[in-house]
Amino acid sequence: MESLSKLWLSTGLANFELGQVIMMLVGCGLLYLAIARSFEPLLLLPMGFGAILTNIPVAGLSEVGGLLHYIYYAGIDTGIFPLLIFMGVGAMTDFGALIANPKMLLLGAAAQFGIFATLFGAIALNFIPGIEFTLKDASAIAIIGGADGPTAIFLASKLAPELLGAIAVAAYSYMALVPIIQPPIMRALTTVEERKIEMAQLRHVTKVEKVIFPLGLVLMAILFLPAAAPLVGMFCLGNLMKESGVVDRLSSTAQNELINIVTIFLGLGVGSKLSADAFLNVETLGILALGAVAFSIGTASGVLMAKGMNKFSKAPINPLIGAAGVSAVPMAARVSNKIGLEANPHNFLLMHAMGPNVAGVIGSAVAAGILLALVG
Amino acid sequence: MNNMQQEFLEAGTLMLVGMVVVFAFLGLLILFVNLVLAKLAVRFPDPVAPSRAPSNKKNNKKADDGTASPAIVAAISGAVNRYRAQHGQSSASADNSLPQNKN
Repeated sequence: MESLSKLWLSTGLANFELGQVIMMLVGCGLLYLAIARSFEPLLLLPMGFGAILTNIPVAGLSEVGGLLHYIYYAGIDTGIFPLLIFMGVGAMTDFGALIANPKMLLLGAAAQFGIFATLFGAIALNFIPGIEFTLKDASAIAIIGGADGPTAIFLASKLAPELLGAIAVAAYSYMALVPIIQPPIMRALTTVEERKIEMAQLRHVTKVEKVIFPLGLVLMAILFLPAAAPLVGMFCLGNLMKESGVVDRLSSTAQNELINIVTIFLGLGVGSKLSADAFLNVETLGILALGAVAFSIGTASGVLMAKGMNKFSKAPINPLIGAAGVSAVPMAARVSNKIGLEANPHNFLLMHAMGPNVAGVIGSAVAAGILLALVG
Repeated sequence: MNNMQQEFLEAGTLMLVGMVVVFAFLGLLILFVNLVLAKLAVRFPDPVAPSRAPSNKKNNKKADDGTASPAIVAAISGAVNRYRAQHGQSSASADNSLPQNKN
């Protein structure tokens, strides 16, 4: 009889707490989004499953000695996983469109306004009882507006690890929602005539330029913003491996096998932060709301900047590509292309939008560096 | 309340400094692309002409190999035939010489 009751006490049924059940349902929700709606499935699937695993009673997967605990501390607490992912992203990025039309960097810069405006909003949320964001928390939340998963996770792990779960969920959900969030803002801020604008064809970019660009970018990070060096450095390493053309094996590993392996661990590690006490509170709702605001402001400021540049620039600029200034590569560029095609079926903006798109990646890495330097 | 004001002030300065630095950094990057990369592109134009020339050379070489090979084959086979003929004679003479040596 005694052994029977001991057995009963070792079951999940006897030890479930309400919070754990709810968090498992949240995990199932993420799995649903990943599998049925294909929202960023590569990350949300391991993340959702990680959320289920970490909330199993008795097993203690995210306590000291548990698998998820070590995955989190080895890879996310140290910042290694997001940086390795960033290297892979660098190896997949083609700066050609940006080098051909460097003015697009201004659009990538303008879209970062979403980050800094949200910082303000996060502090304003402190008026609501039950929410208390410090400046560090606010910075980590605001980076969601950069629409860059690895950057958001990197910064959150440095500035506000207790909010990491909610921030990662918000960042990746909104990145998946780019095709839904952006178009209404883009349509509202532009006229049909502006959306019809066709842009001049991009010039040819030589190999030497593509090889020197990442080196120049890293040099600038060294000189002016060393706090951004981890992100920019790994990004440029990946890009140099791709563009140099002499280490195709490394480049292909960084953009395939390595990034896939790290994505599994990153998802699991982030999922391990989805525990009831860290996730089920008013602050999470605040983070989700602020993430949407950050995204919308970033999109809007990119579009407005492009409108302004179109007024002053000799070469016509379609304001729609400004929306691609939030990173979310390549989804945001595809959205610009799609909205452009709606207004003018012969207007292919994809290559033009890739410029601000990769500029947005640099911009959000720089913004993360600034926040680390000033707040961290 | 005072605390809130101070936090707002901090957030405001962060916003200002942040946007200025982002624009300055990416603005410098524009200068870098326009001044350095554009010049490099003019000095080291890798695109169409030079990349075609070596490939043509390679093709020519390959083509040379292709057209030359029958001639070379003919020459080699001729040489081999002659060698064989000579060798056959010499071996015959060697065969002859062996018994001579024995003798």
